[in-house]
Amino acid sequence: MSAPGADGGSGAARTPRAGVAAAAAYAPRYRIDAEAIREAWGRFEASGIRSKAVGGADEDGLTMAAEAARRALSAAGVNAGEIRTLAFGTSTPPLAEEDPTPRLGEFLGAPATATRRFLAGSTRAGTQALSAAVDAGGFPAVVVAADCPRGAPDSPEGHAAGAGAAALVLTDDGPTKLRERAEYGVDYPGTRFREAGSEDVEGLGVTAYDRRAFAETVAGAVGGLEDPAAGALALQAPDGTLPYRAAKALGVDAGAVRDVATVHDLGDTGAASPLLSFVRALAGGRERTLVVGYGSGSGADALLFGGDPPAVDLALDGREDVSYAEYLRLRGEIGGGPPAGGGAAVSVPSWRRTREARYRLVAGRCPECGALAFPPEGACPNCHALSAFERVELPRGGTVETATTVSPGGAPPEFAQQGARGGEFAVAVVSFELGGETASVPMQVTDAEPGDVRAGDPVEAVVRRVYTQEGVTRYGSKVRPVR
Amino acid sequence: MSDAYLVGAGQSDFGAFPEESYRSLFRAAYEAAEGSAGGVDPGDVDEAYVGTLGVGGRQLGLPGPAVTEHVGLHGVPCTRVENACAASGYALRSAVMAVKSGMVDLTLAGGFEVMTDASSEATRYWLGVSGETEWERMAGTTFSGVYAQMADAYMREYGVERESLSRVAVKNHANGAKNPRAHLRFTCSLEDAESAPVVADPLTLYHCCPTTDGAAAVFVASEEVAASFDDRVRIAGVGAASDRVGLFQRDTYTSIPASKRAAAAAYEIAGVGPDDLDFAEVHDCFAIAELLAYEDLGFCGRGEAAALIDSGATDPDGRLPVNTSGGLKSKGHPIGATGAGQAVEAFKQLTGGAGDRQLSDPRRGLTHNVGGSGGAAVVHVFEAEGADPAGADGRGVGA
Repeated sequence: MSAPGADGGSGAARTPRAGVAAAAAYAPRYRIDAEAIREAWGRFEASGIRSKAVGGADEDGLTMAAEAARRALSAAGVNAGEIRTLAFGTSTPPLAEEDPTPRLGEFLGAPATATRRFLAGSTRAGTQALSAAVDAGGFPAVVVAADCPRGAPDSPEGHAAGAGAAALVLTDDGPTKLRERAEYGVDYPGTRFREAGSEDVEGLGVTAYDRRAFAETVAGAVGGLEDPAAGALALQAPDGTLPYRAAKALGVDAGAVRDVATVHDLGDTGAASPLLSFVRALAGGRERTLVVGYGSGSGADALLFGGDPPAVDLALDGREDVSYAEYLRLRGEIGGGPPAGGGAAVSVPSWRRTREARYRLVAGRCPECGALAFPPEGACPNCHALSAFERVELPRGGTVETATTVSPGGAPPEFAQQGARGGEFAVAVVSFELGGETASVPMQVTDAEPGDVRAGDPVEAVVRRVYTQEGVTRYGSKVRPVR
Repeated sequence: MSDAYLVGAGQSDFGAFPEESYRSLFRAAYEAAEGSAGGVDPGDVDEAYVGTLGVGGRQLGLPGPAVTEHVGLHGVPCTRVENACAASGYALRSAVMAVKSGMVDLTLAGGFEVMTDASSEATRYWLGVSGETEWERMAGTTFSGVYAQMADAYMREYGVERESLSRVAVKNHANGAKNPRAHLRFTCSLEDAESAPVVADPLTLYHCCPTTDGAAAVFVASEEVAASFDDRVRIAGVGAASDRVGLFQRDTYTSIPASKRAAAAAYEIAGVGPDDLDFAEVHDCFAIAELLAYEDLGFCGRGEAAALIDSGATDPDGRLPVNTSGGLKSKGHPIGATGAGQAVEAFKQLTGGAGDRQLSDPRRGLTHNVGGSGGAAVVHVFEAEGADPAGADGRGVGA
């Protein structure tokens, strides 16, 4: 372990009582092989990465966060209405300014009064969010880290850039206890940065200097722990070799990193990286895991967890390989701009008005006849009575009633950009059943080849980007096949 | 209550006309209608109803007076009627109701639309404005998508093959090829229709109507005023109905309930049934819509539409010719002009003016005009002068 620099600082903070009650991990279904990138560029500059996850055309950090958080809540058996703290960390927020946690909370159904913490600005945001939730002290707490970093297509950062999300539900008595934590910060300019207004991270590529920044900062944080020994090291992984170098410097066996690493298959998952490895460790039944997040600048957090493993939902499989050209399209590196002919007539205020129905499939139950209405307003579709609906949340699983595939030339112009990225898509009418009644909802099908979905097929609702107009992205539910 | 009569009817050419405007197209329709009436003194026109969706947004406010003043109907009260693709079917119905109320004696009903002068993205924007915009459209659906969903449901429910959809295209193109005013005046083969690019599975390009520029106009007169015109077609019945705008909000995806209700009302007022008809102009914006219309209008039972078209019964020489004009598929679908355009075909058929596509002495015909995917529908029954009373030929009243 290298000695902390004179300009750094360390020290074990008082450790509040907190434990992981459940955990979940999510990665988009698309994967690109390192070989495909090597073939395109004649080289592949993200060593140790075999393949990486690629977000769908309608995914971003916020939608991935929602997916991971929903899975973690479900694994914990915690109702979203009970959430007292919601902490979200990402280095790629959909907007440079705007707090995304109220929207994430609305996706899930978290109370407006929940304490919210949003961390961004470096890949350390994931472990910072974890620490912030612990400090907030309101349980149950949901901690989510999601990221989909970008770099220039021919850069090491671009080659490494993957996508993924991890979520933890913390309670004061969760079985996997936080034992201790420490952090460390030391000035290292130029290792990895993203200029204001840019979507791409870059670095100067001063290899020895970059390695030193990483190893020194990580060691500084770990050095602040009283007893850092752990069977698993869930360490930040900007690529597939740096964490092993740092582990070696710490005197930790490479297996402790490798066994829980996700970077080899998902790529650089930014702020989600250490938490994804932590979730893998929990899924593997590890009793003691050292979680270390690192962000350029540079700073690191070290959190040591131990105890019985919690409930875990690991959704990192389901891969569909894409070609390099498809990868560029999905990421929006190539493709059209915003629609020339104007877009939809649904204003932002009217969109917001329907957010519960769009995000959480809130429908109405007619007090007169018991029929379900979606959306939950207007006269009852069955008895036509005009009364106040009882608001009910439809289950996320439904059945396709009818479906078609809309060709790129047939879609509304506000879907032109999505079409350019994701190609043609299916649209379906989906029936959701609750209490013996059904409600039909028109929904776009995502994460599927258009022809994959037929009447009678089971599908599940997920929150995705619908379209962006005037800089404002509308989110809503789509369905994907249940595989 | 006075009966209402069509005493003149005309349309502009339907097609793509970059050199025309909505006003000049309306003028062409007005002059054709006026000519077919043997001349109309603008001072005798009491009221006007003009249907337009407003594609392109060119004159979203006051489009009615903008065209009636343009053609010299100075000072005549004019109301714009908007019910998407059923706009001028409803304009005609408004004219009939005005005449039957006794408040007016001579009214103009018409419609127009200019659809081919915008970029493809702007056009797709406008084609989506009559779907259910808050939910259906936000799923990424336009009309072709909604009708494709209906086709998917229908084909599965009744075991119908796509070839029956293609037969609608083949028949209507064969009819439209004989209509000098039609937009797509060419024939298409079954193979053409089957192998065309898919627009929204299972619908191919030939299962979808075109976007079209055009206008149509008719004069509706009271019995007393109609007596002074040479050609008179009695509007024997009219019915209309609304439904939820979004397909997902309806009880069925394999029928358009508003069509069924509108037809039942029109048949009842006319005292006739589907078996008493000699021809029909139905709303075939997509091929599946014509098959659904056969069933909703009572031309055949549920699930029997494919067999009906396959049998040739709706060909010009069949038992009940449908869309002799070429329909929306071949004649074209200038949204706001379509309903009035159907009435123009009915007027021509019943007054012997249908040229190469003239049926042999038809006495009674029906027009069927649908807005959106079925949020609105309107049905008219027209009779030539001296048409036999319904049921006189022993075929019964099937309303």
